Amino acid sequence: MKRKALLGIGAAAALLLSGCALNGEQADTGGSTDGPVTLTFQSLAYQDSTVAATKEIVDAWNSDNPDIQIKLTQGTWDNVHDQLVTQFQGGTAPDIIHDESSDIMGFAAQGYLADIGKHLSTETKDAVSEDVWKTVTTKDGKIVAAPTLLQTYVVFANTDAFAAAGVDVPKGDQLSWDDLRTAAKGLTKDGKFGVGWGLKQPTAAIMNTALGYDGSFFDIGDGGKDTIHVGDNEVAVPEHIHAMAFEDKSMDPVSLTQSGTDVLPGFLGGKYAMYVGGNFLAQQITESAPDTFKWTVLPPLAGSAGPVQAANPQTMSVSAQSKAPEQAAKFIDYFMNAENQAKLAQGDWLIPASKPARDAVAEQTKDTPVWAPILKSGEDLAGAPFQQAANYPQWKDQYATPALQKYFANSISLADLKKQLTDGWNSLG
Amino acid sequence: MNKQKVAPVRQARAFSRPLQYLGLAAYVVFLGFPLLFLLSTSVKTPQQLQSPENGFFPTSLNLGNFSAAISKANLVEAAGNSLYVALLTTVIVTLISLPAAYALARFQTKLRGIATGWILLSQVFPFILIVIPLFLVLKQIGLINNLFGLVLVYTVWSLPFALWMLRGYVAAVPVELEEAGAIDGATKLRVLRSIVLPLLAPGLVATSLFTFISSWNEFFFALVLIKDPNLETLPLTLARFVGAEGQVQLGQLAAASLLATIPSLVFFLLIQRRLTSGLMSGAVKG
Repeated sequence: MKRKALLGIGAAAALLLSGCALNGEQADTGGSTDGPVTLTFQSLAYQDSTVAATKEIVDAWNSDNPDIQIKLTQGTWDNVHDQLVTQFQGGTAPDIIHDESSDIMGFAAQGYLADIGKHLSTETKDAVSEDVWKTVTTKDGKIVAAPTLLQTYVVFANTDAFAAAGVDVPKGDQLSWDDLRTAAKGLTKDGKFGVGWGLKQPTAAIMNTALGYDGSFFDIGDGGKDTIHVGDNEVAVPEHIHAMAFEDKSMDPVSLTQSGTDVLPGFLGGKYAMYVGGNFLAQQITESAPDTFKWTVLPPLAGSAGPVQAANPQTMSVSAQSKAPEQAAKFIDYFMNAENQAKLAQGDWLIPASKPARDAVAEQTKDTPVWAPILKSGEDLAGAPFQQAANYPQWKDQYATPALQKYFANSISLADLKKQLTDGWNSLG
Repeated sequence: MNKQKVAPVRQARAFSRPLQYLGLAAYVVFLGFPLLFLLSTSVKTPQQLQSPENGFFPTSLNLGNFSAAISKANLVEAAGNSLYVALLTTVIVTLISLPAAYALARFQTKLRGIATGWILLSQVFPFILIVIPLFLVLKQIGLINNLFGLVLVYTVWSLPFALWMLRGYVAAVPVELEEAGAIDGATKLRVLRSIVLPLLAPGLVATSLFTFISSWNEFFFALVLIKDPNLETLPLTLARFVGAEGQVQLGQLAAASLLATIPSLVFFLLIQRRLTSGLMSGAVKG
C-alpha cells in the first residue's frame, strides 16, 4: 500500500516537472510564420455601440484577409491586468491585446510585448503625435503598442444653471483655473455649489492636470534612480481645488470624497452647476440626463503652461509570444485607420489619438456641439514623467493617494502635502 | 391557585408573540433586502438610476433591462455552462468527501492528524498565489479553455472545506448507533447505507450547497482559464456590464444578476427540506 502511494506521488511529481520543462520549451515561439494564420484579439470595448463597431471592423478584416483571420474575444477593464499576468506566464496571452499605456509598459519592460514599430505603416505613425507615441515607447526605443483612444479631464456645465445665476458660459480655446474659480463663485448660491468633482482616487487626475503648470513631479534617470521634486508647479492644481472647497466654498468638499459616477446624479439634479470628470462621462450624461437637462463641455482647463494634460492612451499591442507578430501588426494598422478609429471614438465618447480620425469625428459630429471642446482637449496631450517612473504605482497607492485625500479633507497643510509626497517617494528607495 | 399562575404566562405570551413575529419579519426583510434591491434596480431606467430623487421603489417598469441583459451577455448559454460546472463539481466533491470524511472521523490513525493539518493548511493560500502554477499544470494536461478543467479546479478548491464540514457531521453521529446496527446483524455496508447515510443528509445538503454556490459564483479562475466566449460562465458575462473608471450599466447588470441568482435559489429550494436538525436528539439516551 505504502509502495503504491509512493509510486503515485512520484508519478505526479514527474508529471509536474515534465510540465514545467515542456512549458519552458514552448514559451520561445516568437517570430513570423507564413501561410494562413488565426490570431486572437481580446477587446475591452465596453459601450454597446463600441462592441458592435469592433465586431464590424473584425468582420470586415476577416472577409478581406482570408490568410489572416482574427478571432475576437471580450475582456473587461477591471480584470485585464491580472488576466494578462497569468496568461503571459502561461504562454497563452491573446496575440493582439487591447489595454492602456499605463498598464502595458510594465509588461513591455518584462519582455512580454513585441516591438511593432517596424511593422506599422508610415501612415499610422504620422497620424499620431510624437508626444503620444512616447507613451508607448520603451526606454530602449521599442514601440510596443499603437495608441488608439484617449481621455482627458473636462468641465461639464449645466447651461440652465449658468443662465439662472446670470453667469456667462465660458467660451474660447481654453479656460484658466482662475476663470473656473470666478465662474464657480458666481454659481454658488442657495445651497448649490459651482463645482462637483469626484476625487476619491485623486492621484491620476492631479498627475494628469499638473502638466498644465509644468508640474512634472519626476526626473527619470537613464537606467539610474528616478527622483521626485514637489514644487509650486506640482501642487498648483491641488491648491486651486483646496481653495475652491475651503476658501471660496464653491466646490462641494463632500464630492471630493466620492467617485466620479457618485457625483454625476448631483450634476444631473442641479446640485452642481459644473462637474469635472473624464470626457467619457459624456456618454453616461447623454444616456441618463432628463430630456430637459441642457449641458455643454467648457473649453479645456489650462494652467500657466497651457491646456496640457498627460496622455494615457488605450493601446493595441502584440504579445511577444505570438507566432505571427507581423500579421498581427497588419491588423492593428487596419484597426488604426481614420474611419475605424472615428467609429470607435464616437461609441465611447473618447478622443482618437490619430489626427485624421479626430478630423473625421469633428466632421461627423458637427451637429453635436459638445464634441468640439472634447476633441480640442485632446490636441495638447503629452507624455508625462510619472508614466516612466518605475515605483509610481506603489507610490501612488501608498503615499500620494492618502496624502492628497488628507489635503482635500483639509486635515493637512500644503507644506505637509509636499513633504508627504516627497518623503513617500524617497522611502521607496 | 393554578389559574392565577397560568394567566400571567398567557398574557406575557400574547404580548411577546407579536414582537417575535415582528422581529422575524424584520430579519427576513434584512436577509432579503439585497434581492429586493436587485429587483428594484433591474426595472429602473438609466434616468431614474442617476436621478438624485432615486428612491427604493421604481417609478416605471422598464423591462428593457432584462431583454438587453439576455441578448448582450449571452445569459442562457452562460447559465448552461455555469450549471454544468457547478453541478458536476458538487457531485464530485460530495462523492469524494463523503467516504473521506467518514474515514477521518472514525478511524484513529496517524494519518488523521496529518490529513486534518493538510485540510487547514490548504485553506491558507490565497487565489493569486496558486493561480499561475495551477494555470501551468492545467495547460500541460490540455485543460485550459475547457469546462472540465474548471470543474477540476473547483473540486480541488472546495474539497478541503467540504471535507472539514462533513467530518463534523459524521463525528456528531453517535458511534453507538452503528454498534447497535452491527449487534442486530447488519453488515458494515448496511450500517452505512441504512443508518449513517440518512443521518448525514443535512450535512450532505449543507456541503452540496456550499460547493454549488461557491462554484456558481467563482470569477477569477474562470477569468484566467476560459478564453472561448461560448464557454464563459455567468460571473464572466456579468463582468461585461462594468466598464473602466467606475462606469457600470447598473440596470442591465441588476437584471442579469437577478436572472443569474434564480438557478441557485431553485437548487436551494429543491434540497432545503433535507436541511433539518435534531434527527439524532435522544438517539442514545439512557
